[in-house]
Amino acid sequence: MAEENAPRPPAPPAAPSAPSGPSGHSGPPSGGGYQGRSGPGGPGGPRPQGGRPGGPAKRGKRSFIRKKKVCRFCVDKSDFIDYKKAEILAPFLQERGKILPRRMTGTCARHQRWLTVAIKRAQNIALLPFAAEL
Amino acid sequence: MEERQYDLIFICRPDTPEPDVDKVIATLEHAATEKGGKIEKTEKWGRKRMAYRVQRLREGFYVYMVVRSTHGEVVKELERRLKVADAVMKYLTVRVDEELKRQDKLKKHRERRAARRPRKTAVPAAPSAPVPASGGEPAAATS
Repeated sequence: MAEENAPRPPAPPAAPSAPSGPSGHSGPPSGGGYQGRSGPGGPGGPRPQGGRPGGPAKRGKRSFIRKKKVCRFCVDKSDFIDYKKAEILAPFLQERGKILPRRMTGTCARHQRWLTVAIKRAQNIALLPFAAEL
Repeated sequence: MEERQYDLIFICRPDTPEPDVDKVIATLEHAATEKGGKIEKTEKWGRKRMAYRVQRLREGFYVYMVVRSTHGEVVKELERRLKVADAVMKYLTVRVDEELKRQDKLKKHRERRAARRPRKTAVPAAPSAPVPASGGEPAAATS
């Protein structure tokens, strides 16, 4: 895991737009990224300081800065999420049509709850896909 | 029973001529008023690409309505009509009044907080204001 964490800093888990890489279940070697990101204490949790056998030991603590993700709906101060606006909801879907988890998008719990409902409604009226088409 | 509000969206086949779509809308309006509800708003979104194929078609003519009624019969009747109508491929009814209510509540709450905040910073000793706040922001103001 230490080796996997090391090369990550240049590519932080940024926007929900292009996370298709770690999304695939098929690739076990790349799948570790998921857990590595979420495992050590979610939002602003303490970084694991031990357990780094190899790697660049010069930089004392974990040197990469995890950019704090903020809930987009909290920033917009939205009091509800409209299922009719597919273009707002679309970034929260993976390419294959899965709903992105909170740990990827940084959405707060309350808004994620509303978001899932909105996405599911939009799917039912064909504004959003259930799954990507062939 | 209190009045309920619903969103009703249906998708017509893309090859339906617009008069036929209007006909569907008219029958729905008629049915709603007959059952004691009313259609508050009708929006024709027009031909839109659907996210997946429905009846092997990629496009559909979307129509959006806002329905108000005090009992579920109205929705039942509207859905029955939509099911029967040949032009309609897909429909969705969503009850929205509770969400709108929640939205209003949150909005009011936010406005009240926003109105209170500047006063607090200006006059630190205002015992009457922070007491009912209780649930509000715990930080900053107390110190």
